[in-house]
Amino acid sequence: MTSEASGEATTTSEAAARTADLGDRGGADPDIKRRKLHVLEQMANRGIFFFTAALVLIAALFIDGFASLENITDVFHRAAPIGIVAVGMTFVVISANYLDLSVVAQVATAAVVLIGVSNNSNIPMAIGLALLIALAYGIVNGVAVGVFKANAVIVTLSTTFIGLGLLRWASGGSIYFGPSDGPIRSFGTTEIGPFPLSMIVLVVIAIGLHFLLNRTTFGFLLKSYGSNRNATRLAGVNTALVVVGAFLISALGSTIGGFVLAAFSNTAVSAMSSGFDFEALAAIIVGGTSVFGGKGSVLRTLLGVVFVSVLTNIMVLSGLGFGYQQMAIGALIAAAVSVDALARRAAGK
Amino acid sequence: MDVVDESDALPEDPSRTGDAIIEARGIVKRFGGAVAVDSVSMAVPPGEIHGLVGENGAGKSTLMRVLAGILSPDRGAVVVDGEELKAGDTRAALEAGIALVHQELSLVEEMTVAENILLGSTPTRAGLIKTGELKRIAAEALDEIGVSVDLDEPIGRLSVALRQFVEIARAVARKPRVLILDEPTATLTPTETDYLLDMLQRLSRRGLAIIYISHRIPEIFRICDRVTVLRDGRHVDTAAISDTRPQDLVDQMVGRQLALDLQTHRVPAEPGAVVLQARGIRAPGVDGVDLEVRAGEIVGLGGLVGAGRTELVRAIIGADLRSAGEVTVAAGGRTRRVAGIRAAVAGGLAYVPEERRTDGLALTMTVAENVALPNRGRLSRSGVLLFRKIADFALGLARTVGLRPPEIRREVGDFSGGNQQKVVLAKWLGRRPDVVVLDEPTRGVDVGAKVEIHRLVKDLADGGAAVLMVSSDLPELLELSDVIHILRDGRIVGTLTAEEADEKLVMSLASGEATVAA
Repeated sequence: MTSEASGEATTTSEAAARTADLGDRGGADPDIKRRKLHVLEQMANRGIFFFTAALVLIAALFIDGFASLENITDVFHRAAPIGIVAVGMTFVVISANYLDLSVVAQVATAAVVLIGVSNNSNIPMAIGLALLIALAYGIVNGVAVGVFKANAVIVTLSTTFIGLGLLRWASGGSIYFGPSDGPIRSFGTTEIGPFPLSMIVLVVIAIGLHFLLNRTTFGFLLKSYGSNRNATRLAGVNTALVVVGAFLISALGSTIGGFVLAAFSNTAVSAMSSGFDFEALAAIIVGGTSVFGGKGSVLRTLLGVVFVSVLTNIMVLSGLGFGYQQMAIGALIAAAVSVDALARRAAGK
Repeated sequence: MDVVDESDALPEDPSRTGDAIIEARGIVKRFGGAVAVDSVSMAVPPGEIHGLVGENGAGKSTLMRVLAGILSPDRGAVVVDGEELKAGDTRAALEAGIALVHQELSLVEEMTVAENILLGSTPTRAGLIKTGELKRIAAEALDEIGVSVDLDEPIGRLSVALRQFVEIARAVARKPRVLILDEPTATLTPTETDYLLDMLQRLSRRGLAIIYISHRIPEIFRICDRVTVLRDGRHVDTAAISDTRPQDLVDQMVGRQLALDLQTHRVPAEPGAVVLQARGIRAPGVDGVDLEVRAGEIVGLGGLVGAGRTELVRAIIGADLRSAGEVTVAAGGRTRRVAGIRAAVAGGLAYVPEERRTDGLALTMTVAENVALPNRGRLSRSGVLLFRKIADFALGLARTVGLRPPEIRREVGDFSGGNQQKVVLAKWLGRRPDVVVLDEPTRGVDVGAKVEIHRLVKDLADGGAAVLMVSSDLPELLELSDVIHILRDGRIVGTLTAEEADEKLVMSLASGEATVAA
């Protein structure tokens, strides 16, 4: 900056001759200098690495029974369905449409269809039917939000009601039990070391979605839409397709999550997925995806899932009941969105 | 020249500091690691209009937000009437008589004029609003600034100019002793600006101290008694206006000599064939407009705020729905009808919107990502992004538009207004557009960036693009346009060539004979 003054005299005559040089005075945009990543912003974006590591370490050191192979495998078994739902829903959050509440109905529907419809004989047909239902959810949610510009929270709350209502009507509210052997059962019980097959499915899906989000035009447009939907539309982008795409991915995640849940528990009932919406949301925002949209990461959602699952496991092992777990998830979401909002403000946005 | 001792900030005439009503003493304000305001002092006595100038990012708005108690300074103090104000306390600042009229309008659209004026200080009894009292105070405030508007009208139905005046009435209703205005004329026409400036002089004669921020140098010279220049967060100079020349101010703002008269009218090439043709355009605020733009031609749209210019261009390009009319773009040997924005962009149109923050840029995304958005087709293969190509592409364009610093991996929101506007242009330049629609291309942009943006617009036209430009900045409109259409009430009321157009003619057409300067 101090060299600026001496540079003035020599450049004056050239500047008069060439307008292109005019703004070239000492270099930096003054706004740019004030931008060192704020600590809150760091925490909102990358804190999950530290928090997850710390939580696992604490659990391993102080919680009896945590560090056993049996327990770790159990944590993974329970984390996988939520995780698959969460990595899919991450796309809806990045699109700045808050969340997809209809995952609750979708997970239960997929589970009931897989166990109830297949009756262990016609699994491909059951999977096909469940995928068709996912397609319907994705399109209905996506069109209502992306084309009609309806509020995503209200829309997906409505489709949850409709979906759960339909499911209860169709199933008569009964509980479906899977057979004690066959492909579904063996999928649900296969383990490779501490990793159940479902966890491997989750990791594969997450890597695929990570690629979709970060390497493809669709992922790019999704982030752009989430950051500023007006500017994205005015750049000639078909924004309705982007939104429908986000809800389709969420629907696909919920449906596969439902399959995995059904295979693990070997039962299916319409009420089995209550709380999935908020647990998935907790994993997403603890993972640093902003509810303001435009920014997020599938792999960090994966870490968020580990964090939430380990936290729940710690409470179970410590004898704290479901009520405590609910309170913890609620508090976690409130804290994470507050840090997100504060970080945004600190960054001056 | 860069580092100014704090004592320099005090006015030359010591008798004036003694009776200063408001004083900033060595204010330092940091955001994160960097300093936005660096030991700035200034003092304003009652009855003075004190100009505050500097480029975007110079720290003007930050300093004023410290004075108004919105921001808490890291060092230094705000002193009113010899008493130190509690730092960062908006209420204390208000009670001490400091009122700030923000750069961005902060009115609630659904509420009435009267409710907005008393927003935050609504008179109540037992929790119930005293409607009579509310209207009386609001009417008084409007009367004081000499503006007549229906108290029960919702703000959303008022023109931008009237909203600005309501915003000022809101400040005046608090009976301030210090009134701070942050670029109040950015959205006003010359007539409205005249009116506002006269009003401020009236208020100051009654003993109000006024701090006036503006990019428009002539306004500073017209009403201010003294002027303070900030650059890069530092105090550069405070001087009596009678001892200052416009050129000095500009030099101090940019830190070196900048020839104001560099802006010469371009020599238009012989215009080519008609590229953009619009017929019978109707939309809310637009009442049947025909116009055409030829290759290599810059067509300007002049008029008052609310004349329907933005609505017209948005209807033409299909950003908003039009109720009637047809638009065709003839380029690359084919003529296509343009119905919506997607077809328009696909057909070679570029749109630089009036509101870059809400319509032009994704602020939380990087420069490279913003630039890549309309160019994604050629920066990807089978739907997979080619990052190296994106980086090269964005860097080349950042250099073309003169982005400073040319750091394409930074978020656009981190740059100043002028640089952000350059990114909007860069987005579209890469497509070599056949039609360029610009709406207020240099609003809120500093002097240096403005010159560069003008150069880019001229280059576009010289390269054969058909350019349609809305501008409320008369010198800009006159400098760049080959043809100027003047709009009033959604219709073209006059068309002038570059040779015959001058400020007076444009304004008299824009305002119409019926409207007399208020």
